[in-house]
Amino acid sequence: MSFFSKLAAAFMLIMISAPAWAQVRVEVTEGAISEYNMAVSPIAVTDSANANLAEDLTAAIERVFDITGYFKILDKRSFLEKPDTDFAAVDFKSWTNVGANGLVKGRISGSSGDVDLDLAFYDVSGAKQLFRKKYTAQANMLKTAAYRFTAEVIKTLTGEEMTFMFSKIAFVEKNGHQYNLVVTNFDGSGRNVIHSTTKTILLPEWSADGTKIYFTSHESNNPNLYVIDIKSRKITLVSAYEGLNTSASAHSDNKTVSLCLSKDGNSEIYSLDTETKALTRLTTNSATDTAPTVNRAGTEVAFVSNRAGNPQIYKLSLSNPANVERLTEQGKYNQDPEFSPDGKKIAFSGRDEFYKFDIFVINLDTRVIDRVTQNQGKNESPTFSPDSKLIAFSSNRDGKNKLYLSNVAGTKQFAVYSGEGEVVTPTWSQVTNQ
Amino acid sequence: MKTLKYILCALNIALLLIGCSEKPPKEEREMAEKAFKDALLGKDCDRENFLAAEELVNQAREAINNQKYDEAKTLFLAAKERADAIAKYVREHPDECTPKDAKGDTGEDGSGSIAEQTFVDETGDPNNPDMEFPVIHFEFDQATIYADDMPLVEMMISWMQNFPEKVVRIEGHADERGSIDYNLSLGEKRAIEVKTKLLQAGIDPQRIKIISYGEEQPVDPASNEDAWFKNRRAEFKRVN
Repeated sequence: MSFFSKLAAAFMLIMISAPAWAQVRVEVTEGAISEYNMAVSPIAVTDSANANLAEDLTAAIERVFDITGYFKILDKRSFLEKPDTDFAAVDFKSWTNVGANGLVKGRISGSSGDVDLDLAFYDVSGAKQLFRKKYTAQANMLKTAAYRFTAEVIKTLTGEEMTFMFSKIAFVEKNGHQYNLVVTNFDGSGRNVIHSTTKTILLPEWSADGTKIYFTSHESNNPNLYVIDIKSRKITLVSAYEGLNTSASAHSDNKTVSLCLSKDGNSEIYSLDTETKALTRLTTNSATDTAPTVNRAGTEVAFVSNRAGNPQIYKLSLSNPANVERLTEQGKYNQDPEFSPDGKKIAFSGRDEFYKFDIFVINLDTRVIDRVTQNQGKNESPTFSPDSKLIAFSSNRDGKNKLYLSNVAGTKQFAVYSGEGEVVTPTWSQVTNQ
Repeated sequence: MKTLKYILCALNIALLLIGCSEKPPKEEREMAEKAFKDALLGKDCDRENFLAAEELVNQAREAINNQKYDEAKTLFLAAKERADAIAKYVREHPDECTPKDAKGDTGEDGSGSIAEQTFVDETGDPNNPDMEFPVIHFEFDQATIYADDMPLVEMMISWMQNFPEKVVRIEGHADERGSIDYNLSLGEKRAIEVKTKLLQAGIDPQRIKIISYGEEQPVDPASNEDAWFKNRRAEFKRVN
């Protein structure tokens, strides 16, 4: 090899790498609209019996502000004003002194039965209270109230409607041979085991109306697709073709699922009408086609195929399934695609140049791929919140797999649930309950 | 860490300019991986060499990932040397190195038998109705049967020919890397690949069932090359 061809090779490498570097820079700035310092004053109590509740609610409000990536949460140890200062007696100067742009204050009163949660939001720079709300409910319902208030503050400041805090996440908790299908609130609280077996529970997926969860199981010696009703726990067989019946993705018509079947001798994508059992074949290929994800409009299915030699993300049009487009060119191992509910993005997990699995997001308009996780263990199975603002995924960055949430820019990430087993394949319900 | 990435990329460019190999060392890799596979028998009896060989193979693979192909080549050659030393040790100490109990635990429900069968006697007797079935292994993200494993498949074919009333199930498995969906498909592809060999030898398709467990039933739950190698497999199970 001559010096010049080596040089050419080096330049090619630079040219190939340059866009990726440019994207990293974009990703750092994207998401942070401006530096807005939020002070959440510890919620005051009139009865010390509510001290723990007040602490929990303060932390919950902070967490929601924080994870959006739009705000810097100020350290409450620096606050000068006492938490129990009257709502009308806020000393704005003391908040300006700690650098706050906005202030949330609250108070819980009452102790038995229903309690009152009083919350107010202040524009510190403008030295005025913007709004104040009073919620009366059982103590265990107050978190939802606090989230409603927080969503309102966010809407006021950013114009964005955030609903992720009112939705549920399901995942599989795997402990040796034991599989549990678990449903929690978005913040990992309220763990509810819907189904348990040693015969596998794989790839759960919510129905569009949030009342059922599809999953694959080896319950009867073939990986069949089932659906479980969350309330009654009744399990119904959906698809039992010989071979794989996996990767259900629920359509918003609440009856069609796209799935992977291997009855033809290799993995292909189909759509199945769960009422009439009518099948529509979407791919015809000797390569592996799997992991379909349908957009909310029901017009496109993205999926994984190794038709080019290694797994990459593709999408096809449901009205013309032969119209297939490859979406990922970088990396040799891209899987787990998931449409954002607004249809603008697809999250997926990919293996980078260091052989680590990370979450990426492709913007379908610009085709720019942004990285959500980096240097934080193995990150898999991304799933979008119903407002497309957050991504839940599993990560083993602390040893075992836990449930993590991140904003789409990847600037804020939190573990929200960790149990006895490994948390795998989270799926975010698209139904919100405020 | 992003800075680190830039430095590494820059380093790669620098290495290209000063003239290092531009292609991964395929031949050395195959030789080392084959030798390492043969050396698995000496995993416990020649522990020191085994760990050294494993480390060298891992480093070599890492070097390939970082496009340091010359370094990878050297490491693979060193790994092969170590692996050959293990094989020699195994030959010279047969008693010490023969696994005492090749059977592992049975799953809680009795069906999910997790048999540790890596060290199957390759001279298994296909005339024996109770022959211990071989395990076929695969490369990462591949469903092609290693040339080395073909005698195992042929042994199975002979057994199927000798006991024409017997039905078997081929269970395909993947290692933990990659998504659950993709690994279910990959495990099935491996099972189908083995089934195809049996069909080509004239075995009645009615006598061969297949199932994929994807990454759900690892033989070794560890996260390292040794475990991944063992977990990428197709197993035969008796149906009747």
